[in-house]
Amino acid sequence: MIQFQHVTRTYGDRVAVNQLELSISSGQVLALLGHNGAGKSTTLKMLVGLLHPSEGTVRAGPYNVEENPREASRLIGYVPDQPFLYDKLSGREFLEFVAEMYGLRSTETREALDREVTRFELGEFLDQLTESYSHGMRQRTVFAAALIHQPEILVVDEPMVGLDPHSIRLVKDLMREYAALGRTVLMSTHMLNVAEEISDRVALMKSGNLLFEGKMPQLRQHVPDAEASLESIYLALMEQ
Amino acid sequence: MIHPSNATHSQIDRVCERLPSEEREGQIFWKLRWREGRSQLKYFSTQARFRTILVVVLSLFFWIGLFTLFYSGFRFIVMNAGPAGATYHAQTVQFVFALFFASLQVMLIFSSGIILYGGLYVSQETRLLLTLPVRDSRLVFYRLQEAVFFSSWGFFLLASPMMVAYGIAVSAPWYYFAYLPGFVLSFSYIPCAIGAIACLLLISRLPRLRGILVGIAALLVILVAYVSIWQTLDISPAKSLHSSWFIDTFHRFEFTRGEWLPSTWLSNGLLDAARPAGFDPEDLPWLESGKYFVVLVSNALLLHVIVLWLGNRVFRKSYCSLTSRQAREAKSGSVLIDRIANGLLIPFPKQTRLLIIKDLRMFRRDPVQWSQFLIFFGLIFLYFANLDRFRQYQGDLSVQTWINIVSFLNLAVVGLILSTFTTRFIYPLISLEGRRFWILGRLPVKRDTILWGKFLFAAGGAWLPCAGLVLLSDLILEVSDVVVSIHQATCLLLCIGLSGLAVGLGALMPNFHEQSPSRIAAGFGGTLNLVLSALYILAVVVLTALPCHFVLLSSSTEISFHILKASTLSFWLGVGLATSFALTCLVTIIPLRSGLQAFRRLEV
Repeated sequence: MIQFQHVTRTYGDRVAVNQLELSISSGQVLALLGHNGAGKSTTLKMLVGLLHPSEGTVRAGPYNVEENPREASRLIGYVPDQPFLYDKLSGREFLEFVAEMYGLRSTETREALDREVTRFELGEFLDQLTESYSHGMRQRTVFAAALIHQPEILVVDEPMVGLDPHSIRLVKDLMREYAALGRTVLMSTHMLNVAEEISDRVALMKSGNLLFEGKMPQLRQHVPDAEASLESIYLALMEQ
Repeated sequence: MIHPSNATHSQIDRVCERLPSEEREGQIFWKLRWREGRSQLKYFSTQARFRTILVVVLSLFFWIGLFTLFYSGFRFIVMNAGPAGATYHAQTVQFVFALFFASLQVMLIFSSGIILYGGLYVSQETRLLLTLPVRDSRLVFYRLQEAVFFSSWGFFLLASPMMVAYGIAVSAPWYYFAYLPGFVLSFSYIPCAIGAIACLLLISRLPRLRGILVGIAALLVILVAYVSIWQTLDISPAKSLHSSWFIDTFHRFEFTRGEWLPSTWLSNGLLDAARPAGFDPEDLPWLESGKYFVVLVSNALLLHVIVLWLGNRVFRKSYCSLTSRQAREAKSGSVLIDRIANGLLIPFPKQTRLLIIKDLRMFRRDPVQWSQFLIFFGLIFLYFANLDRFRQYQGDLSVQTWINIVSFLNLAVVGLILSTFTTRFIYPLISLEGRRFWILGRLPVKRDTILWGKFLFAAGGAWLPCAGLVLLSDLILEVSDVVVSIHQATCLLLCIGLSGLAVGLGALMPNFHEQSPSRIAAGFGGTLNLVLSALYILAVVVLTALPCHFVLLSSSTEISFHILKASTLSFWLGVGLATSFALTCLVTIIPLRSGLQAFRRLEV
């Protein structure tokens, strides 16, 4: 469902992502791990069309993201690290705007709204202007907007930042359930326990290079102490 | 919805086919605007009623003032150069219209380009819209609408009283007024679209050079403006206000009446619509005016198509290339301005010094702040540099009186410009600090020190350029040393008073929910600061200007009145200065004291 083929992205002289080769099939959750500046967010931004690769191709489903940004974005739901909401719209109006932009008809919009409002427990504040929302409320609204058109691919940049434990549980369950439906989830995170808990595969990036990509047991084989915590394994790999 | 486990490419294609059509996309955006506008109106009418009323009343006052001014001017032309349609009338009004619209045309190109740049390339909303299936051309058009609105409202406010006044002054037929909205809309769209095209091309082709190119273009415009002003005013005393002067000036501005300029189409269209029909049955003013209207509309539409086409072709690519730039490294210790500031601030405690240097760094690294500062003070500098025309008439008492009045008006202008800066940039400082208050709050710094740091930064930073400008004005006008001293003292008082007011009110009425300084400044506290600042400037300038004016008058005339006795006037001058000083103390101490108390109690 997602393919990065020989993808390189530079910022001036600095190489943010270097010759990235990565494929993610339907029904999988892949967690991108790495230090700050490793190239995780750049990778996600290339997938959602906010950045073009300097070299290589990024595909979402059958579409080359650079050549068919509209079609590709129809398949993707994106939760950015710094979400934007229209201050002078209520949560309901914002979700309706996003649903209509994805081409949902009015009856479909109503159904989708009910579904996401229930899922993210937005009912209490849905008709208030978003300027009065707390960080957690904003984050849940943005998640609802990303899922309103039931995308094939869910892309999440740092999903747990600012969420309370209840919302974290909600989001973790959501991502697992979403993959179980046969859809694809790609997330970047610094929270190793989250990655370990919900992802099928992890990809470790360092200075734009993909250090490792595979399942958790395979990751453990890379270090001598197989019983070590994911944190120890991660740090050992990063220091190599 | 398709189930991805068995989703085929054709199924995915079918889902994508259901994306909104171009018309539907437009409707969705209009719905968004309508909903946002409704919320904003509700906010204005419930939570910002005072500000809304103030803005409406001041705008109406401004509009009526301009209308009266233009109406008197046009009546003067009708009485002295004949009615609409007469040759001299047409030439005179065309000169005024063409110059006015050509100048605004250039400003609209720049302002729309800059606003569109902000809306398209550095906005979080655009980032959201780029991840939705929105057509790039639609996104560019959506942002262009905002750029047109925000860059043209000043044009509407200036042009509408002039055009309405002209229509009434010459008793124009009904179709003149019917044409007006169409003329204004189509005309303003043309320079805005040109600005948009320039912005898109500049960012897509030369992203690295955009700052340099905009700077060069701005310098060229300033140079042209300077040369134009200089040439216009460069006349021998004998020619002044004679027919030869008018003809000479008329020819000098020939370039503003070029047939290919939209401003000319607008001027000619208005003149044709306002004149009565001649004796020739084939001379139909409404049709002649209509032709210019069609030219304006068709050009606006053509440019609209070009903007959309360009938006589709280059916008996303240019956005990506701009966001892929390498981050610039911030220079700190080695920068001369920081070292100078550090040296000048030696008398202050180290903590205060560090806080001021921090604010200074943030100011000079924010192009929005320093560019506005540079543009406004640069324009005042240009105006002051051209003031020496008065020197030709130094021997004339009435001119000397004017020189004195102008020198004080210049002082007031500097104060008013400064008050817009203290409202826009100093007043929001505490509100913005509140968002990152945890940094300062955790440091071993007294809260009073933070506020005093802001005050010293504002007063010191304002005093240097303001005192320099006032001195330049005085030197060019060759006013006496006493007046120079009074001006410098008043300027210092204004800098202290305006800074105290802005910092004090900013601490008294902080707004920690808003992240945008312009929105903080546009709130109730910012509006109050602006109004109080204007009243304070008016009071201080009048208190010093009036006695000073009479002192000058008494020393330059043989006529002796009791009230014009030197000793009496010196006394009143002293009273004026002392009252200004006392007023400055009040304006500085009361808000700062209240602000300090509120800031000490502040919980963030």
